[in-house]
Amino acid sequence: MKNLSIAFILSLFLFGSCSDLLDVSPTSVITTESFWKTEGDAEGALIGMYVNLRSISNSTLYYLGEARADVVALGTVGDGGWAKYYTNRLQPDDAGPSWQSLFTLVNSANLILKYVPGIDFASEDRKNTILAEAYAMRAFTYFVMTRTWGDLPLRMDPTESENPELTQIERTAQSEIFQFIKGDIDKALQLFPDNRYAENKMFWSKPATSALKGEVYLWTAKQMGGGNADIQTALTVLEDITNTNVALLDNFKDVFDYGNKGNDEILMAVRFAELESAGNNYFNAMYLIGSAIPTNISDEAKETIGAIGGGSNNIAVPTAYVKSLYTNDDQRKDASFYEIFTIGENEALTYYTTIVTKGSGTVIGGSRNFIDDIILYRYADVLLMIAEAKNALGEDPSMEINQIRMRAYGDQYSEYAFSPGTVEENDEIILEERLRELAFEGKRWWDLVRFDKAIEMLPTLSERDNPEQKILWPISIGVLSLENKIIQNPGY
Amino acid sequence: MIVQYLNHYYMKKFIQELRLFGLMILFMIMAGSEGYSQSTREVTGTITDASGESLPGVNILVKGTAIGTVSNIDGSYRVSVPQDRNTLVFSFIGFTSREMEVGNNSTINVELNSTLSDMEEVVVIGFGEQSRELLTTSVSKMDERVLENIPYSNAASAMQGTLAGVRVQTTSGQPGAAPRVIVRGGTSINNPDGASPLYVVDGVIRPDINNIAPGDIETFQVLKDAASTSIYGARGSNGVVVITTKSAKAGFVSATYSGSYSLSQPGSLYDLASARDYLTFARRAMIVQDIFPDASFRNTNPIGFGTGNDLTNNTAYTTQYLSPENEYKLNEGWESMPDPLDPSKTLIFQDTDWQDVLFRTAAIQNHHVSVSGGTEKAKVSASLGFLDNQGIAITTGYKRYTMNVNGDFKVSDNFSFYGIVNYANSKDNQVNSITNIFARAITLPPTTKYKFEDGTLAPGQALSEGNPEYVLRNRVAENRSENLTFSVGSRWQITPELSFDPQLSIYYTTDDSYVFQPAVLNGPNNLVDNRSASASISKWRQTQVDAVFHYVKTIGDGHNVNATAGYAYFGRNISSLNASGQGASTDLIPTLNASAEATSVSSSISDQVIHGYFGRVNYDYNYKYLVSINARYDGASNLGANYQWGFFPGVALGWNMHKEDFWEALPQNVFSKLKVRTSYGINGNIGNLGDFSAQGAYGVGSRYGGYAAIQNTLIPNPELKWERSKTLNFGADLTLFNRLGIVLDVYRRVTDNLITNLALPPSTGFGSTLTNLGSLENKGVELEVNYNVLPSASDFQWNLAANFATLQNKILKLPENGADKNRVGGYYVWDGALGDYAWKGGLQEGGSLGEYYQHRELGVYPTDQDAENAPSDAYKRYPDVAFGGDFIWDDIDNNDVIDEKDKVYVGTEFPTLTGGFTNTFSYKNLMLSLRMDYTVGHTIYNYARAFMEGQWKLNMNLTQNLVDNGWQQQGDVAELPRYDWESTRAQLNVHPNRTGQGYYESGDYLAIRELSLSYNLPKSLLKPVHLENVRLSLTGNNLYYFTKYQGLNPEFGGRDYGRYPIPRNFIFGLNITF
Repeated sequence: MKNLSIAFILSLFLFGSCSDLLDVSPTSVITTESFWKTEGDAEGALIGMYVNLRSISNSTLYYLGEARADVVALGTVGDGGWAKYYTNRLQPDDAGPSWQSLFTLVNSANLILKYVPGIDFASEDRKNTILAEAYAMRAFTYFVMTRTWGDLPLRMDPTESENPELTQIERTAQSEIFQFIKGDIDKALQLFPDNRYAENKMFWSKPATSALKGEVYLWTAKQMGGGNADIQTALTVLEDITNTNVALLDNFKDVFDYGNKGNDEILMAVRFAELESAGNNYFNAMYLIGSAIPTNISDEAKETIGAIGGGSNNIAVPTAYVKSLYTNDDQRKDASFYEIFTIGENEALTYYTTIVTKGSGTVIGGSRNFIDDIILYRYADVLLMIAEAKNALGEDPSMEINQIRMRAYGDQYSEYAFSPGTVEENDEIILEERLRELAFEGKRWWDLVRFDKAIEMLPTLSERDNPEQKILWPISIGVLSLENKIIQNPGY
Repeated sequence: MIVQYLNHYYMKKFIQELRLFGLMILFMIMAGSEGYSQSTREVTGTITDASGESLPGVNILVKGTAIGTVSNIDGSYRVSVPQDRNTLVFSFIGFTSREMEVGNNSTINVELNSTLSDMEEVVVIGFGEQSRELLTTSVSKMDERVLENIPYSNAASAMQGTLAGVRVQTTSGQPGAAPRVIVRGGTSINNPDGASPLYVVDGVIRPDINNIAPGDIETFQVLKDAASTSIYGARGSNGVVVITTKSAKAGFVSATYSGSYSLSQPGSLYDLASARDYLTFARRAMIVQDIFPDASFRNTNPIGFGTGNDLTNNTAYTTQYLSPENEYKLNEGWESMPDPLDPSKTLIFQDTDWQDVLFRTAAIQNHHVSVSGGTEKAKVSASLGFLDNQGIAITTGYKRYTMNVNGDFKVSDNFSFYGIVNYANSKDNQVNSITNIFARAITLPPTTKYKFEDGTLAPGQALSEGNPEYVLRNRVAENRSENLTFSVGSRWQITPELSFDPQLSIYYTTDDSYVFQPAVLNGPNNLVDNRSASASISKWRQTQVDAVFHYVKTIGDGHNVNATAGYAYFGRNISSLNASGQGASTDLIPTLNASAEATSVSSSISDQVIHGYFGRVNYDYNYKYLVSINARYDGASNLGANYQWGFFPGVALGWNMHKEDFWEALPQNVFSKLKVRTSYGINGNIGNLGDFSAQGAYGVGSRYGGYAAIQNTLIPNPELKWERSKTLNFGADLTLFNRLGIVLDVYRRVTDNLITNLALPPSTGFGSTLTNLGSLENKGVELEVNYNVLPSASDFQWNLAANFATLQNKILKLPENGADKNRVGGYYVWDGALGDYAWKGGLQEGGSLGEYYQHRELGVYPTDQDAENAPSDAYKRYPDVAFGGDFIWDDIDNNDVIDEKDKVYVGTEFPTLTGGFTNTFSYKNLMLSLRMDYTVGHTIYNYARAFMEGQWKLNMNLTQNLVDNGWQQQGDVAELPRYDWESTRAQLNVHPNRTGQGYYESGDYLAIRELSLSYNLPKSLLKPVHLENVRLSLTGNNLYYFTKYQGLNPEFGGRDYGRYPIPRNFIFGLNITF
């Protein structure tokens, strides 16, 4: 009996192999092997790509597109790390946003472009739309990056291994990057089955991609030697947009109203929503912190400020220059910012600070949430780009400029009607009108660079040594420490 | 289809588990039916100690059998010895074991000698135990006296400074918080502080020992070298902490009570400026140099130093000008001073010390009762523990109930089985945010309102920078943890040499918590009433099966063999459920049923299986030559599909030189004993590898416009394999004068294939990926000394125990990435020796971990003229502008420009030397012990102090240090820069983008951990009241840190954002044995 049982136990050990015990399947995570099989996978990944877009729209796009320009300056609470932008004092150790989050967005597009073609869809149109959105997204992201850093590591395939031969790559010349961007845009425009807008304007659509194409070609015309050919391409594609279901809203304020998201003026906006987004967007830095609200202000001011919260702060305030561009006849003034005065003895008013009202979000549970959509393209922007293209070709840009001004000045329009001058004069007016119209929307720095006016208009830039080398951003020391084939931009 | 597949999968798993359980039960039944039937003879006797006192509870074992008994309360015993056996073994913890030949005697009286040095102690090793004398590996055993006087809410804290090479750091003074335990520096490159050891309690693997009552612990040891831990294979490379709890003793019923009452206070606090100094500095700071925007308007704002405040509930601060309306406040404790900017006006304000508001003297109660008894056939013990630690910060606290039942039943002479149930239930309240409370709230301006005029608590500036009492009292939060362990096992002596010990255990933990934010003021004018609430529950279910054979035999003349072989299965399932909501219309219900709207719901399930086969052979020849061979073959489910199995061997050799004939030639009273030993082994580690990380991951949970997103979050790595660490250990155990014991270990551990997050180029779109990255070397020397200074005959006794351990780490190899030394990260700085710029720090081959680089301050410019020739400073908003009161930065590369290339090495995060010493003095019934420990070599970035002195947020108090040592006017030769507003930010004197070396402080410390006086009441007094023993003690714990560190807790490196301070405890303890 004894020996028998020992033999039995030993045999269990020796022959009762338990190797298959290690086959443990995941319950709550999706592994790489199990993904990219169905239409649902593609739809989920598509939404994931937009989540990545929202991450960079929180504040990165604003830093890159406007913070270095003449739009905002020091607030009452300190600079909050913004001074390096508007004083144009970027340096490798404090270089602003890293390109990682932008490349994460590129990677999510690359994954879709690699795997979705192999998935069967009930509707071929749907499949093409998903691919078109991924191409548009990749083009948009590279366009943001190349305007920021110039030459870029060009990643056309998703990152799927750590192999340094694939992960460590050199920069590709900006001209090739632009060829790549234009190729992606053309593929997107071919793939979109129709000219309709996306649901709530929160996804890429054919008209939104056309606006992107217009802006890209204006840029390459003016900055990459593309000349009139590129201007003409831009004008054609931008004018196509005017035939889509889009219009200027009568009331400028309504374009930005929290309750009016995805309105008729919008071509494409990044959706922010309560409980969805990664917190407040950059407009929180242009508001007020509770402890910085003086007690001696008017009731109207108190009411306008309303509830604060959600990290609201007074870090970046509109510059005197921006404010000087608006007259009281301009309905865009109150819809863009609000000036606060303290009331002293004998009702004497002293200027205190300014808050931006364009993106003041909404109040939920007594707390302000800065969750307005971040608009990438709206119709006013398209009209002004058409004006810019027409003017560059020697055509009359009056119609588009005046459409903008009619809406802005209403009854007082006749006093502000535009009449054309020389090409240079018109350009100056278009550039300024773009600022009036699009202030705080993340466009001004790129406008200044595209019009070649950054050094002229920004003393903080012109006073630097070799200011033309300071237009491109430095590559941060953190990026350089991890990418040994990347070389710093000249001037840093 | 999928459902079918899943069903099949779960079915398969279920059947597998069933098979394991069935196996267990079978063993027991089969074993139980077995038995010897031999003729026996009775032996009786009495056991005494050297002083003639009877010794109850001594184990008596018939050598080579499982037959044994335990001595009674009067020290007597009776045992049946089979005819073919002739030796009895008498063993008792703390005494030298003795073997006695039975011969023809029917009465054997034995005298046991108490253990004077560590050399004779018994050490618990993996799946067995071994006498220290025969041990060939590196094992540190804790002196259980360390657990006697202090009611540790986490038993791991007792290791601090008591075990060489075991670094224990109190990272938070929160009651119940687990300290960080790192054995020999850990084996991780990018998270060296996460390399926690494996915990094994009564054979059951646990993630921590948070819920073990120290009163239940019988032995506590740490296996350090690879030869001792390789029997745990997969998870041994960061060391193994092995604990056994008190088990039942037969023979008589005994009961003990131990309890204590303590008063607990914060050990150290920040030295902050008074309201007067604060107002003077802050108001002056608004008058800034011309080049900066005017900031003087703030002096009239409703802020801490501004005069825009009033007595209404609309302003958060008290500061205002004296007026007829507020004059009466001076009679209510407010103070006044001339406005430093305009002495003709008078400021009034209230001075509140926020540290006084936040901290309190807390009480700690600890009670522990245990009962044990039974017969030779059946013995049972049970214990009950209760700990209530209030916490020195208001609203925090920790409560714990523990219960243990342990039963042991002898079915036949060669078969017994046992069952252990451990239960613990703990509850704690923690602050919402360590930084908001311990760094922000206590640096609120001292002029902030504590209460409004109507007597209600004022909220402070905002929730994140609030009146700590308001914030903490307006919040409902609780964490509960329940912990249940069942073990059943048996011991079957199949033959006199061979036994089989299977154990089955279930370890089950449930953590649940909820948080509710009632309607609350976020600053005085902002009522937030969305009433966010959340709740979570998380379960850890673990099944473990160990089946172990032991074989003990003496072959021929003195060839002793002790072999172990077995199989171990570990299966673990974690499930969690979290939900949150908002919009409740009442503050009365803190749970989610009141929420109007669900804001998020999430659940997850995750599994892991590790199993393997192991074996060990210990051989010695006449206790003289010692050999130990270990191995384990282990498989883990979370590794890459092709690399799940690993083999981990270990070998150790020892030589007891004092057993040699030549030793007799040495003077015995000097050279008592010497053993030299060496070991080499290979361990595995799967670090903190996620259950499915190797397979890559697509994450879910985000939404966009109402749609659910799926995002690629991890890159797969099917090649991911075991981390292997190889340790070579040399050691010696030396006893001198029969009183001085020395244990010395020298080791070098090289860990290859580190499972580590490799930082990827940011342009890949990923921050990092899991990979087997390079190799790391840790080496060090460890010394433990135990010295009885006076001879044992002396009434007065002095025991000195000391230990120290050094540690150095070096990166040997990193994956090829094309960079010099395959560097990842780092700083491009001037290298004086090289005469050129070079990449320093980060991770690079030949480098070490955790190096800090920063700018170096050379002083402060005394005057504006002195500052005129300052080098251009790339960090500043105006690079060429410098003033008196600015830091003089060291221009390391002498190029007249201060930029990031001027950074220098300013310290390392990790300590290089740890240790401690204990002095125990005893005279008759009186005992005094003093325990101290130290840690040297770690640097702490004192972010919290920089935050205050650099004015990183307007509207906060400053340190007394800056008041005393800051530059104030032209000509001041000062240590710290001027305190001001706008130019502070523009000049970056103390700024998050550049915090100078001065804020990278040394954390070196020597702590008086325990000073304890105890007294055993004389037996003559106790006999009449039928008490066995009564012990009283008075103890001071964490009494003082000798350190230059200016923060609240010097124990660990890294960035100090504000830490829950370590409490200082005064403890009265009582111990009664019935």
